[in-house]
Amino acid sequence: MATFTAIQIGVYAIASALYLGYLLGLGERSAQLGRLVLALGVLLHFSDIGARCLHRQNPVSSTPEAMGFVGFLTAAGFLGASFRYRLAAAGAFAVPAVLALLVLARVVPAEPGAPAMGTLGRTHIFLATVGVAVFTLAAVLAVLYLIEDRQLKHKRFGELIGRAGASLETLDRLAARCVSFGFPIFTLALLTGALWVARLGLLWGAAAMRPEYLLALATWAAFGVLLVARVGAGWQGRRAAWLTLGGFGGAMLVLVVYFLRHAA
Amino acid sequence: MESLTDVIVLGVSHRTAPVAVREKLTVADDQIEPALRRAVALPGIREVALLCTCNRVEIYAVAADREAALRALGSDLAVRASVAAAELEPHLYVRADAEAVHHLFRVASSLDSLVVGEPQILGQVKTTHDLALRAGTAGSILNLCFSRAFRVARRVRRETAIARNPVSVSSVAIELARQVFGGFEGRRVLIVGAGKMSDLAARALQGQGAALTVTNRTAARADELAARMGCGTHPWDDLVGALAAADIVLASTGAREPVLTRALVGRAQKLRRGRPLFLIDIAVPRDVEPSCAELEGIYLADIDDLQKVAAGHRDGRRGEAEQAESIVEQELARFIESFRGRQVGPTVSALRARVLSLAKTEAEKLVAGMPHLAERDRRAILDFADSVAKKLLHAPQMALKKDTSGDGVPLVTAVQRLFDLTVVESVEDPGGEARARDSRDSASRDSASRDSASRDSDSRDSDGRDSDGRDSDGPAEDAPVANQQKKASGS
Repeated sequence: MATFTAIQIGVYAIASALYLGYLLGLGERSAQLGRLVLALGVLLHFSDIGARCLHRQNPVSSTPEAMGFVGFLTAAGFLGASFRYRLAAAGAFAVPAVLALLVLARVVPAEPGAPAMGTLGRTHIFLATVGVAVFTLAAVLAVLYLIEDRQLKHKRFGELIGRAGASLETLDRLAARCVSFGFPIFTLALLTGALWVARLGLLWGAAAMRPEYLLALATWAAFGVLLVARVGAGWQGRRAAWLTLGGFGGAMLVLVVYFLRHAA
Repeated sequence: MESLTDVIVLGVSHRTAPVAVREKLTVADDQIEPALRRAVALPGIREVALLCTCNRVEIYAVAADREAALRALGSDLAVRASVAAAELEPHLYVRADAEAVHHLFRVASSLDSLVVGEPQILGQVKTTHDLALRAGTAGSILNLCFSRAFRVARRVRRETAIARNPVSVSSVAIELARQVFGGFEGRRVLIVGAGKMSDLAARALQGQGAALTVTNRTAARADELAARMGCGTHPWDDLVGALAAADIVLASTGAREPVLTRALVGRAQKLRRGRPLFLIDIAVPRDVEPSCAELEGIYLADIDDLQKVAAGHRDGRRGEAEQAESIVEQELARFIESFRGRQVGPTVSALRARVLSLAKTEAEKLVAGMPHLAERDRRAILDFADSVAKKLLHAPQMALKKDTSGDGVPLVTAVQRLFDLTVVESVEDPGGEARARDSRDSASRDSASRDSASRDSDSRDSDGRDSDGRDSDGPAEDAPVANQQKKASGS
């Protein structure tokens, strides 16, 4: 199993390098090759998840498994989108993110005394996983948007990151779509999570003040404000991108805090 | 004898002649076919094609007699342009043989264009070939040259970035706007000022599905421009409203002070609720206050920005052009090599036929004069002649097949000249690669590809080794035909 994991990590690393190479001006070929390698990585990752399921380690059985699954969903989502949109430049962000997630998931040891999951717990982890994966894609698009916007504003037309990539409007639209798709999922994840902890008797009293709960709420609120502002106040572009990044940062913090708590 | 050495090109281009001369030589599209038919009837000319663009008028021909052909074509040009031949002379250039083919490759690859890398020329060269096919004046040699030229041009475009980045101010502006909006379908373009500066960019945007609106201080001129562009106008007093509705603004007024001030654009941007707006300012003095660029969602490019980008791209193209030139050279060498290879088979056959039939005729003559000989002796004499001839043929035959020397007159040509052989190019397929790769099914493919190859031989872009002198064993291998006629492949 360890070898297989190492191979996956290696394949994602190569794909990351190729996409980064594209960003640094190695040309179209680099991105095409990167996509090919990424496809291989997604395939390996998929079969790995399948194999783990056979060993009763399905994606929602523990947080590391879920993280690995977030990585898989992000990679697969990006791969799928890259056939429809010209997102080669986004690959330089998305694929390393996947790599980081996978490394975290596989290197961090599984928590020994994890509480009994139950259906509610599994549902919560599954929904949160999907939600965070979608938000990750949105964040990648937001980063690209900000870079491209900056270049256009500063008239550094010669080095446009998006010259072979998506236009500002496309990036903005795709990010908005990701958020409006991820938000309801994330909302459900919060609800099931709350129910779950409530059932464990942890929702009230001192336990309720755990920072990750507040952070999760803040994340949810950020994306909620973003959705409302986009529709209601016509927010788009830079402000929307920053808010997306803020929300994504919150989601990541939740994961980090969670890990710190369970690794301790 | 027919070979690459008979290919000539004669013409004028932006390099050699001012537009005043070029415009006289231009042939209207519908006049090209008649002109081709007239040209092919001139003395010494076997095949001919006419390339006519606003930057060049060139005649590509295969000449039986180069001198006569050049004289005839030159005076034909002069007559048509109604200028004295002497007046035309200094502007004309002539290339022959491999140089002519080289020229064609460079032209098709857009290396000889005024704007190197501009994409139209390949289409124009294709049209040239199509028209010659239709007029029946393109034969096997020109077909080979043109179809190879298309292949070379495609390779250049594929392997170099020569045509990737725009080099004119208007196309740079459009490319930048594309960074913001992706496509222009349904986008609204506001033209501020009725100057002619913005015409090109506006038309290009319109061609890509954008809707134009004109606004101008004097309404009459706005109406005039709107009529020319086929679009609506917006009152000048409501500039804010006009901006609020637009996605792209092309500003080119003659105003001394900025027309689109920061305050005005800011007000418009409030109404736009943050939708991005791309301001293209091609006026001097500038129409848009530079600080507008600081506003959220506003992107601004002035004439300097655009020219800087265009200049950068031009520099880039120069570098790519060098690489492209070496591709062209390489392809030319390959083409000449394969062309020679194509001729080896037929030449060997022609040589054998010539020598063997000579030996046979002479031996038969001899035998006929000696009726006293027994049948067996007659046989022996005939066999002897045949065997001597074959032995004699052996060495030259082997040498021909082995000849790969790149320098000097190739043996094939030498042998053709020495023995006065007429060798007909056995290939009629303009996309000759197809046949070279698989000669077995070439018979069926030939007929099919005749009309299509000029268009789509790009589907087979293998740089395959066309021949190593071995591809001539196709169906028509041993066809030493005397006095071949012009082959109009289109008919």
